[in-house]
Amino acid sequence: MDAAGSRPAVVIDNGTGYTKTGFAGNVEPSFILPTVVAVNESFVNQSRASSKKGSNWLAQHSAGVMADLDFYIGEEALTRSKSSSTYNLSYPIKHGQVDNWDAMERFWQQCIYNYLRCDPEDHYFLLTESPLTAPESREYTGEIMFETFNVPGLYIAVQPVLALAAGYTTSKCEMTGVVVDVGDGATHVVPVADGYVIGSSIKSIPVAGKDVTRFIQQLMRERGEHIPPEESLEVARKVKEMYCYTCSDIVKEFNKHDKEPAKFVKQWRGTKPKTGAPYSCDIGYERFLGPEVFFNPEIYSNDFITPLPEVIDKCIQSAPIDTRRALYKNIVLSGGSTMFKDFNRRLQRDLKKIVDARFELSDARIRGEVKARPVEVNVVSHPIQRNAVWFGGSVLASTPEFFKACHTKAEYEEYGASICRTNPVFKGMY
Amino acid sequence: MASLKTSEEDHHLYPGRVRPLIGVWRHRSLFPLSTDSKVTYIVISLDCPPPRILAAQLLKPHDRKTRFVNAKLFANTPVIVDLPVSLQAQLMANTSRLYLTCIRNTLEAAMCLQNFPCQEVERHNKPEVELKTSPELLLNSVLIYMNEAEKCLIESSINSLRISLKVKQADELENILTKKFLRFLSMRAEAFQVLRRKPVQGYDISFLITNSHCEEMQKQKLIDFIVQFMEDIDKEISELKLSVNTRGRLVATEFLKQFI
Amino acid sequence: MILLQSPSRYLLQILSTRVQNLEKGVELDCQWIEFDDVRYHIQASTKNPNLLVLSVSLPTPPPETVFFGGLPPEAIEAIKAAYGTVVHILDPPKDGFNLTVKLNLSKLPPDEEHRQALLGKIASIREVVQGAPLRAVLKQLVSRTVKSDLNKLISLVHRPNESFFVVPQADKVTVVFPMRFKDSIDSILATSFLQEFVDARRTAGLGNAPHYLWSPSPPQELEGAPAEALLANAGFVSFVISPRHVQGRKLDKTVWSLSTFHAYVSYHVKCSEGFMHTRMRRRVESLIEALDRAKPDWKKVKRAVQTRSFKRLSINDGRATSNSRN
Repeated sequence: MDAAGSRPAVVIDNGTGYTKTGFAGNVEPSFILPTVVAVNESFVNQSRASSKKGSNWLAQHSAGVMADLDFYIGEEALTRSKSSSTYNLSYPIKHGQVDNWDAMERFWQQCIYNYLRCDPEDHYFLLTESPLTAPESREYTGEIMFETFNVPGLYIAVQPVLALAAGYTTSKCEMTGVVVDVGDGATHVVPVADGYVIGSSIKSIPVAGKDVTRFIQQLMRERGEHIPPEESLEVARKVKEMYCYTCSDIVKEFNKHDKEPAKFVKQWRGTKPKTGAPYSCDIGYERFLGPEVFFNPEIYSNDFITPLPEVIDKCIQSAPIDTRRALYKNIVLSGGSTMFKDFNRRLQRDLKKIVDARFELSDARIRGEVKARPVEVNVVSHPIQRNAVWFGGSVLASTPEFFKACHTKAEYEEYGASICRTNPVFKGMY
Repeated sequence: MASLKTSEEDHHLYPGRVRPLIGVWRHRSLFPLSTDSKVTYIVISLDCPPPRILAAQLLKPHDRKTRFVNAKLFANTPVIVDLPVSLQAQLMANTSRLYLTCIRNTLEAAMCLQNFPCQEVERHNKPEVELKTSPELLLNSVLIYMNEAEKCLIESSINSLRISLKVKQADELENILTKKFLRFLSMRAEAFQVLRRKPVQGYDISFLITNSHCEEMQKQKLIDFIVQFMEDIDKEISELKLSVNTRGRLVATEFLKQFI
Repeated sequence: MILLQSPSRYLLQILSTRVQNLEKGVELDCQWIEFDDVRYHIQASTKNPNLLVLSVSLPTPPPETVFFGGLPPEAIEAIKAAYGTVVHILDPPKDGFNLTVKLNLSKLPPDEEHRQALLGKIASIREVVQGAPLRAVLKQLVSRTVKSDLNKLISLVHRPNESFFVVPQADKVTVVFPMRFKDSIDSILATSFLQEFVDARRTAGLGNAPHYLWSPSPPQELEGAPAEALLANAGFVSFVISPRHVQGRKLDKTVWSLSTFHAYVSYHVKCSEGFMHTRMRRRVESLIEALDRAKPDWKKVKRAVQTRSFKRLSINDGRATSNSRN
C-alpha cells in the first residue's frame, strides 16, 4: 500500500440540503455544512467583460482572476448573503443531482482546503451520489477530482448502498433491503439486492424535510403566532427538530391535545433580530401534524396523495419476486427527516397493515389449500440514522478492499474519465 | 530553404468529384506561408501543374499579384514562389488569417458528403474515412502547415470528413494548458456532435463530420463553426496563459504583503 | 480564502462546542489529518468533561534533520510559553504520535475574549510545535544575538521527508526552499507562479518585503547540504528575512507563512486549475451556441412546408439542400 493508502480516506457525502464531510474511521462527520455557495456577484460580470479588450482590461482581469477566490460555503455563505448584497447564493445540487459544476467544484475546493484542511494528493476519496445520477455526471466528478485536485484514488458510491452498509456493524451484515432515504430536498425509496440497486424499482416522492418545515411554518402562520417573518422558516425548522413526534392516530392525538393542553403544548421563546425584544409562541398541533405529512400527504398538498407506506409497498412489489421477502425484512431508514420519535414504529405498523390485507385477500382466494408463510415486515432504525450514509462510507473506506476498488489516477490518465462510470460493489461490503 | 516534412498521402482519384479543384486534384501538400529572413515566400509542393490555379484558389485576396517561378517540379521538392516586397509585410501579419482561409476553402471543397451504405456489411452505414478499407471511396488528404509546429490534416471520403489539428505549443506551460483544454473538450464530444473523442495519432484534436451532420446543419455555418473553433482554441490558450501569470502575480503580492 | 489560516478548524470547533456545553460532556474519540501529514487524535470521556487528551504527530523528518526526543528542538519550551497551565505535556506520547498533551478546560481564563484567543491558540498547536525551531532562530534575529557559528546551515522539516534550510547571519536570515511537486503539471504551473514572485517583489509598495530569489539550480547557500535534499523540480526559492519582518506581532505570522509556504503555493496552483475549468466551461458553452446557430430553425421550415406531413430525406434532397445553401 502506498503512502496514501496508509492514511484514512476522505469521505464526502453530498446531499441536496447538507454535505457531510470527514475522515474514514470516525463515527461522525467532522463538518456538516449546508450545500450552498455564496459567490461574489461582480466576478461573474468581470469574466464576461474581460473577453472584450478595454483600456483597463488587465485591471478588470486581475479582479476577475482573484475574485473567484472570494466566495463562502455553508453557514458562512448564508450569513454573508444576509449581511451584504454582493454575495449571491447558489445551490449546486438540486434533487440529488449536481446542477452547477462551477459552484460544485468551488464547494469541494473549500471543503478540502478550508474545512478539512487536508492535502488531496495524500488521500483516497469516497464521494456519494444519488441512484438516479447519469453516468456523465460521474465522469465530470472524476474529471474535477483527478485533474484539479490530483487525488490518488476515487470511489463514487451510491447513497442507499452506504446506508445499508451502515447498519451492518450494529446488526448482521445484510446487503439486501429497502432504503428509505428522507433527506432535506428529496425522498427516495430504493431497493437494493446484494449490494446492487434495482434501478427500475426506485420510487421517489416529492415530500421531504423542507416540505415538512414549510408545512409547520404554514400552520403556525395560520394560527396567528407572532413570529418575525424573516425568521419564521428558521424557527419552523428548529421546532421540527426539537418538538415533533410521530403519533399513531391523528384523531386520537387531537383529542389528547384538547384534553390536556398543558402536557402537550410547548412554548417557543426567541428574540426578534431587529429590535431584540423577546417573543414567545405556542407549539400545539404542529408537533404531530408535521411528520404526519408522510403518512397523509393530502393535508399538505393536493398534488401528491400517496402515503409513504404505500409507496414502499409498491416499490417492493415492483422488484423481482425472489427478493421481496428479504426486502420486507430489512427496511432501513436514513436521513435527517427520519429522526422523528416513533417514525419507524408507525411506518412498520402501517406497512404491515397493507401487507397483511393483501395476504388475507390471497388466502381467501386459495381457500386454505396451500398455506403461505406470513411476510415479516421489519423497519430498522439505529442510532446513526441521521448520518447513516456518511457513516456507511466511513466504515467502507476503512476496509482494506476499498483501496483496491477505487479508480486510481494512473487509470484515469490511461483510459480517460470513462472509467468513473462504473464503481464495483466490493467484497468488503459483506 | 527550410525542409518541411511532407507526408505520404495516397493519390487516388475519385472520379466525378471534379467540382472544386482543391482537395481533389492530384497534389500532395500545401504550405501557405514560410518565413525565411528577408524574403517571404509561399512554398507549395505539387507534382502536377498548373500550380498557379491552385495557388490562386488558395490565396484569394492576394492571388493576382503573385508571381510564379518555374512550374516544373520533382516530387517532394517544394516550389518557391517569390513575392513582391510590398506583399511580404502584409502577408506576415496575415499568416494565421491565411492559414484559416486556406483551411476554409479546403473544407468548402471537401465537404461534399452524401449518404453511402457500407459496402462490406449489409444495412450498415459507416464513416468511410475512419475505416479506409475501400480506396475508391476516399479522396486525397490535404495537409496544411502554418509553420513547423502547426498543421491541419483534412481527410475526406464519400460520406465523411475528418479534420485533425495540431496546435502550436511554444513552451512547457502552453503545452500543458493545451493538453488540459483539449482533453476537456474531447470529453464533451457528445455535446459538440462533430468532435471526435480521441484525436488522430500525431495530432491534438480531431473532428469527424458525416453526411447526417451536413443534412442537419447548414454547411457554411458548419465551416464557420470549425474555423471559429480553431480561433477560439488559440484565443483560449493565450488567455489561460495570461490568467496563470496574472494569478501568479496576485498570489505573490498577497504573500509578500504579509511581511510588511 | 487566500491565505492559509493557522488554527485547525475542526479542533477549534470541538473545543468551542465543548466549552459551551461543559455540563453535558459527550464521549469523543476522533482522528484526522491536515496538510503536510500532521495527524491529530483527540479523546474525551464523560467522566471528566473538563479534560481532553490531544495527540499530535508531525511529518517524518528526512535523514538530515533530526528530532531530539521525538520533537523538534525548542518545542517543549514553546508550548509552555504559549499555553501556561491549560496544557500539560504527557510523557511518553501516545503510540504513533510525537506529542500528547492533556487540556484542562477549567483553567481557561474567565473572560470571553481571552478565552477565545486561547482556544484559537490551542487550535494552532501545530504552528507552535512545528515552527518552534524557526521561531527560535528568528527571535535571535530580533534580539540580534546570533550564535557564534555564523553561516551554519540548519535544516527544518516542513513536509514528510522534505526539509527547508535556514542560514542565520548577524543581520538577516536566509531561508531556502527546494520546491518539489509530485505532479508534473503542478510543477510547471508552480514554476511559473514562483517566477512571478520575482516580478511582484519589484512592484512599488512591496519594497519592504523580504528579498526574493528563484533559481532552477541550488543556490550557493546550500553548499554542504546532502544531495537528495537538492533535488527540486520547481526550482529553489530564497527569502531574506530582516529584523523588521519579525518584530513584535509579526513574528508569529512570519513563522506560519514560512512554515506553510509550500502548502500555500500548492493550494493556489489547485485553485487556478479550478478557475481554468470554469473558463473552459464558459468557452464550451459559447462554442455550443455557435454550433446551434448552424442548425436551421426547424420551426420556420415547418410553418413554410405545411403540405408535407413529414420530411423524407433522400440523396437528392441532401444534395439539393446542401447545394442551395452554398
